[in-house]
Amino acid sequence: MHGLLSGMLASIAALIYDRIYFFATHADFSSILGIQRMISLNIQFCIAIAFLNYLLVNWLKQRGEIFFNFLLTILSFALIIIPISISLPLDIAFPELFPGLAIPMLFFPAIAWYTLGPFFREK
Amino acid sequence: MKKHIYIAALALLFASAFTAFQSSGLKIQDDYYVKFNGGDPAGEFRGLKGLIMFDPDKLEASKFDVSIDVATINTGNGMKNTHAKSEKWLDAEKYPLIKFTSGSIEKAADGYEASGILDMHGVQKEITFPFTFENNVFKGGFEVNRLDYNINTEEPKHGAAVLKVDISVPVEK
Repeated sequence: MHGLLSGMLASIAALIYDRIYFFATHADFSSILGIQRMISLNIQFCIAIAFLNYLLVNWLKQRGEIFFNFLLTILSFALIIIPISISLPLDIAFPELFPGLAIPMLFFPAIAWYTLGPFFREK
Repeated sequence: MKKHIYIAALALLFASAFTAFQSSGLKIQDDYYVKFNGGDPAGEFRGLKGLIMFDPDKLEASKFDVSIDVATINTGNGMKNTHAKSEKWLDAEKYPLIKFTSGSIEKAADGYEASGILDMHGVQKEITFPFTFENNVFKGGFEVNRLDYNINTEEPKHGAAVLKVDISVPVEK
């Protein structure tokens, strides 16, 4: 549940950021990062996060949460390499503006996960 | 005397109009492409301009004198584009155009063959490449080794050295 709701929250944040970015730059990347793709990627990523959290907390108990937090942060940073190195289709204008759209979005799943974390913490 | 001047002026006007028509050549359509592929990098150039004169029945009078704008390079990656235009690579500021001027165009088994000078990064080299001309579209290709044109010779293994160039140029009369 934590994963699914985090995915939805991250998707909402991504959609808002996508619109702000479009109005600011007029660069259209909808053919590679459309609404459906943004939502599905965020939900899939957050469900994977939830699964990883479940595994680590069950395996390492108390230290699992600490280890998970480090891992999620490192993973979010490491994913920056994708929008930096990717080559977009040649018909897309202003490819230099793509990292500005995609890089902040990489942190939305982690932010959403940590934001909703207190609601799902076991007492 | 006045009459002679008018006739001479008229003749000159006709002659200049005819010359302009002769040298205007074929008009390049917007949906052309000049693509290059070496695995990494791959992309395309825009800004194709110049004179294309081609008559399959008069190959000796046919000529290509075209250029592409180096600053239009697009690899699909903004950082790579900036890098490619930099002094280390194509140096778009110092060498803003890549030019090809044909010396001869001949009939070949599967179309035609153009020989001429490719001027890139301040280096002029003779190249020969095959091309076809069907339905008002020129299609051709050749391989180019960036090291032959002194492009980042310090790092011969940084990215591909040999790039395959594919060209398609629709034209209209």
